Amino acid sequence: MNARRFLVWSMILIGFGLQALAYLALAAPLGTPTDVSFSEPRMPFAALVFIVGVGMVFAAAIVYELLPDRWLRRRKPQR
Amino acid sequence: MATTVRTLPTERGRGGRSWYPVVAILLLVLGVGIYGYLQELSEGMVATGLRNLGPQGGATWGLYISFVIYFVGLSFAGISIAALIRLARLDTLRPIARMAEVLTVICLMLAAMTIVADLGQPLRGIVNLFRYARPQSPFFGTFTMVISGYLFASMVYLYLEGRRDAAVRAAQGAPYARFLRVWAAGYADTEAERERHRRTSFWLSVAIVPMLVTAHSTLGFVFGLQVGRPGWYSALQAPAFVMLAGVSGLGMLIVLAAIARRTLRLPERLGPGLFRSLGLFLFLLLLAYLYFVAVELLTNVYTGSVREREVMAELLGGGYAWLYWSAIAGFVASVALLLGWLVLARLRGSLWPLVVAGLLVNLGAVAKRFLIVVPSQTNGQLLPYSEGSYAPAWTEYAVVAGLLALGALLFLGFAKVFPIIPLPDHKDAARREP
Repeated sequence: MNARRFLVWSMILIGFGLQALAYLALAAPLGTPTDVSFSEPRMPFAALVFIVGVGMVFAAAIVYELLPDRWLRRRKPQR
Repeated sequence: MATTVRTLPTERGRGGRSWYPVVAILLLVLGVGIYGYLQELSEGMVATGLRNLGPQGGATWGLYISFVIYFVGLSFAGISIAALIRLARLDTLRPIARMAEVLTVICLMLAAMTIVADLGQPLRGIVNLFRYARPQSPFFGTFTMVISGYLFASMVYLYLEGRRDAAVRAAQGAPYARFLRVWAAGYADTEAERERHRRTSFWLSVAIVPMLVTAHSTLGFVFGLQVGRPGWYSALQAPAFVMLAGVSGLGMLIVLAAIARRTLRLPERLGPGLFRSLGLFLFLLLLAYLYFVAVELLTNVYTGSVREREVMAELLGGGYAWLYWSAIAGFVASVALLLGWLVLARLRGSLWPLVVAGLLVNLGAVAKRFLIVVPSQTNGQLLPYSEGSYAPAWTEYAVVAGLLALGALLFLGFAKVFPIIPLPDHKDAARREP
């Protein structure tokens, strides 16, 4: 896997990870509401984390197309 | 003396004599809209026709929410056409792909602005939405998927699809060259870049199509999942939302394509085949939507609860009847026009039947969105409150007109600086030939 693909896949996985984290762990609990805690997010601005995740997945497309080859070539010897 | 004929692509809008008066009128309407919104901001929501349900006998969602749904609906056809062109290789429709993408981006921005207009305290509303939104709520899906994810994805798609044309135009020394170079971001049209772009476009299209169906269904669920709201609670809301979104968006695309064909003088690129495909798609979607309307009507009239039947009675013969029957008449007239245009050879010589059908379905869509949003609030009370009423105030009309003007200005502005019809790609065409 070359550096371009590695970077893009990392962004996609982190993006989906952030969405899952926000949806399942940071927002208000899923399930039948039994008390007021079901109405409160476990972390404020969990929705924003979800949106950042969505944005990151789609931003990966820009990185994939725009990342210059010469930048990748310059980075190679450093690894 | 030798003369050099320099043939720059004509797909960019020309600043003809009519361009500036049109822009001036739109700016005026936008100014009125801003004034209306400032009135609303300074006086509060009392400056609108919106009132609380029940004791105040009003509707909390009115013209603004109707237009949010309408704008989001328009965006549906834009990006779905663009994605389907890529996935299903609908080359006939390729010339309108960018127009469709721009329509999507502009309509989603307008939808977001309309929501802000609907919030009495916009800043508090926006902050609280991000702070407290629950994933179980359809609103979470609507705002995260539709307004953020969908808008961002559409912008990424539009940007990447436009890079080649930006590079070509910048190399030709077109006006706004600096802007075009920034857009192109070093695009050199190498085979490696093309291959990367083909892959990105394909995967973006694959991601966008299910996302847009989810997004529009979620918007339908905002209404359809409200069990205590007669007129909204229905399993058909989500699919009907998607259908009407497709109908209004396709109708708008037909109108825009016809205007572009005339103003840019591109009868070959925007040819009869393109309009025949659009007309056929619209015809089929419209028939499917009318089927949904009929099913919902029969279900509610024969087996709906008492309150459900009261809402239907209000639609069919009460205060909202004129709007309901006008919308239905518009849809039926559009079916007749489209059928006539598709079947009768002598009608196909002109695009007017198609354009009229496109306009009629859009007027019908606005009316139907209003009829989904309002009557359930004014006439669908489960608690023993008397019937309510809602009439938009001038501020609401002004804000909506301002937003429509802003949308038109953005579209005209884009078409002025960038090729609204993608430049011909001879390399790509040669590659796709067997």
